[in-house]
Amino acid sequence: MLGKIRLGILGCGAITQNAHLPTALRDPCVQVTALVDADLNRARLLQRFVGPSCEVTERFSNVVGNVDAVIIAMPNHLHASTTIDALKAGVHVLCEKPLALTAAEARACCEVATRKGLVLAVGMNRRFDDRRVLLRRALEDELLGSLTGYDWQCGSPWEWETASGFYFSRAQAGGGVLMDVGVHLLDSLLDWFGPVNRVDYQHDDWGGGIEANALLKLHHFGRFGEISGSVKLSRTYNLTNRLMVSGSAARAVLPEADRSLITVHRLLGGHEASMTLRLTESYSPDESFSRQMSDFVESIQSHREATVDGWQAVGVLDLVERCYAQARRLSEPWAELDKARHEVGA
Amino acid sequence: VTWLQKPIFVTGATGFIGGRICERLVLAGATQVRALVHTVQHAPRIARLPITLCTGDLLNRESLRPAVGDARVVIHCALGQASGILRCTKNLLEVAADARADRFIHMSTAAVYGEKPSPSCETEHAPLRRTGDSYCDNKARAERAVSRFVRRGLPAVILRPSIVYGPYSFWSTRLLKALREGHVALIDGGKGACNTTYVDNLVDAVFLAIENQHAVGESFFITDGEQITWGDFVRAHIAMMNPPPTVPSISSEEVITHYRQQLGLWASSFSEARRVLLSVEFRKMLLQIPACERVLSAIWSRLQAFDQGTQQRLKAKIRGTSSTIGLLTLNENGKYIPDLTTWATESHTVFFRIDKARQVLGYTPRIPFAQGITLVEQWLRFANYL
Repeated sequence: MLGKIRLGILGCGAITQNAHLPTALRDPCVQVTALVDADLNRARLLQRFVGPSCEVTERFSNVVGNVDAVIIAMPNHLHASTTIDALKAGVHVLCEKPLALTAAEARACCEVATRKGLVLAVGMNRRFDDRRVLLRRALEDELLGSLTGYDWQCGSPWEWETASGFYFSRAQAGGGVLMDVGVHLLDSLLDWFGPVNRVDYQHDDWGGGIEANALLKLHHFGRFGEISGSVKLSRTYNLTNRLMVSGSAARAVLPEADRSLITVHRLLGGHEASMTLRLTESYSPDESFSRQMSDFVESIQSHREATVDGWQAVGVLDLVERCYAQARRLSEPWAELDKARHEVGA
Repeated sequence: VTWLQKPIFVTGATGFIGGRICERLVLAGATQVRALVHTVQHAPRIARLPITLCTGDLLNRESLRPAVGDARVVIHCALGQASGILRCTKNLLEVAADARADRFIHMSTAAVYGEKPSPSCETEHAPLRRTGDSYCDNKARAERAVSRFVRRGLPAVILRPSIVYGPYSFWSTRLLKALREGHVALIDGGKGACNTTYVDNLVDAVFLAIENQHAVGESFFITDGEQITWGDFVRAHIAMMNPPPTVPSISSEEVITHYRQQLGLWASSFSEARRVLLSVEFRKMLLQIPACERVLSAIWSRLQAFDQGTQQRLKAKIRGTSSTIGLLTLNENGKYIPDLTTWATESHTVFFRIDKARQVLGYTPRIPFAQGITLVEQWLRFANYL
C-alpha cells in the first residue's frame, strides 16, 4: 500500500476520544479521513482534533471509498455486524474487544476476513504491554520453576466515563465485568498458559442483569504444562489488582498499576528476596494503544496476520460462553437474607 | 394484583439505601421496577438486577416524566445537596402527582431536627425548627413540601431513619479507614446515641409504608429500636480488625474548648463570609449586576461542559463538604479533635422512639444490631475492606 493508510473511526465515544483518536493522530503511517457516529455531535466534537478535511457522518456506508481501514469502537452489539460490513466493503478492521457477543458471530467475522484476504485485528491492547513479554520470557527461562498456580484480581469501583451508557445493557454489552475487562484477562491467560480444559464460574447477576463481580477457576493445559488458577473481577470493589503466578522456585507478581514490569520473589539464602524486571531493549516506542496501532498498520502493509487476530478472539469468546453457560450465583449472604421471608409482617 | 406487580419507580437507586430497596423489590417478586440513574458510572450494583435503568436528572423535571411514566409507587431516596434537596423533591412530587401515583415514599432523615437534637425531639411530635445546618434544614424543607402535596391529594409517607448501616454503607467503610489511620476518638467515652437502622429494617419500613393506608401523611422515625451507642458501633468495627486498633476518648468539653480557641474573629468571619458568598440569596443579588451576571453565566456554561461527575466534584470542592467520622484536626498538644459535625452527631444522647412506627405501620425491627453487624462484616470481607 502506497502512502498513508486512510483510517475511519466508527464510534466516537470515550475510548475513541481517550485512546484511538490520539493514537491514530500520532501515527505517521495513518491519516484519519472519517469519523462515524450515530450521534453526529459526538463525531463533530472529535473532528475538531483532526481538521475539516475529515469526513463526519452517521453511517459507515457513506465513507466506503474514503477509507482503507477502520477502527470499530461502537457499542459491543454492533461490533460483529459492522466488522462484516467493513470487510465486505474491502476495508481492513481493528475492532475493539469483544469482537462479537458470541463465538459464532466472531467466527463469521474471521471467515469473511479470510475470504477477502483482509486484516482483522481485535483491540486487546493489554497484549502489547511489556509484562506480556516479560512473563513469557520468565516462564520460558523457568525462572519460577514448575508452575503451581496463579491468582489474578482485577477490580475497582467503575469510573469509565461512558458516552452512551451501553455497558449496562445486556443486549448491547453482551455481559458485565467478564465481557468487559474479563476478556482482556482471559486473552492474556490463554496466551500465556494455553487452552482451558476445565472452568468453574460464579457471578452476581441476579438474573436478567449484568454481573458486577465474577469468580473464575480455570485449568489450563499448555506449553508450560498443567496449571490451575483463579480470577476475581469486580466493578464495585477495590481488589488487590495484581496477578501472582506461583512456581516451585519463585513467584512473579504483575501489578495492574504498572504494566511495564514484573516482580519476582524467591528465597535467597533462606530469606525472602525480590527483583524487579523491566525490558531494557527498545521493544516499542510507545504505550499499548500505540503499539496496537503500529501492529495493525504493519499487518496491513506486510499482508500478515495481526498479533491479536479474530481467531484468538473466537477462543476468548468461546471461553466466555462456557462461563456464562455454567454460571452459578455468587454467594451473597448479606443480600439473600430475605429470600425466605420478603413479605414484611407475614 | 399487589403493589409489587405494579410499576415502581425508585430514585437514589445507585446509592446505598436505594440500591438495597431495588434488590429487596426484586427478592419480593416485583417485576416492573424502574430505577433513576443520574450518574451511569454508579450503576454497576443495580445493573445486576432485572430492573429497568432510566437515565434522568431530578433537577430537570421534564427528564423525570418518561422515567416515572405510569409508576404506581414512587420511592424517593435520592440524596441531593443543599438547596438541590428541595428542588429535586419538588420536581419528583410534581411528576408523581401528575402521574396520580398510589403512594409516594419520601426518605427523609432524623437529622431534620439537627445534628445535635434536643431531648424533646425523641418523638415525631416535635416541631421542625431551623437548625442552621444546610443539609438538615433542606431536608426539613423537603418534608414540608411533601406535606403540602399530601394536602393536595398525593398519598405520601415520610420516613426518618438516622444512622443507616449495612453492606455498602460508608458508615462502615469510612470508619474502618479512619480506624486504620488512627483518626477516630470516642467522644465522651462513646456514650452518644448512634440510633442505628440496619438497612433491611428500613426497607421493611418502606414496604409497610406502601402497604399501610394509615401511614399516609405521617412521618415516622425508623431505627433498630435498640439503644446502640457510638461506642458500641465503633467497637463492633474494631472487633473485625486484626490487629485491633486502640481508640482514645475525648470529652465534649475538650472539643468545644478547642474550637472556641480556634474560631477567633478572623476564622469565624471567614467561615461566615464563605457561607454568605455561597448562598443562593447572594448569588441572586449578584445576578442583578449586569457585569456579574455575564461573568457568572460564563462560569456556569464552562461548568456545563464537564460531565456530571466532574461537575459534582467541582461543586463539592467549592462548597466544601461536611465531614463525617474520621476527619479530625490536631490540637496544640498533638491530640486529635473531631470536627464539629462529628462531635454534634456523636455526642447527643437522644434515642429516637419508634413507637409510632410500631403502632401505625406495624413495624418490628427484625435484624438486631448483633446480626446486622455480622452481615456487614461478611460483606466487608468479601469486598476486600478487611
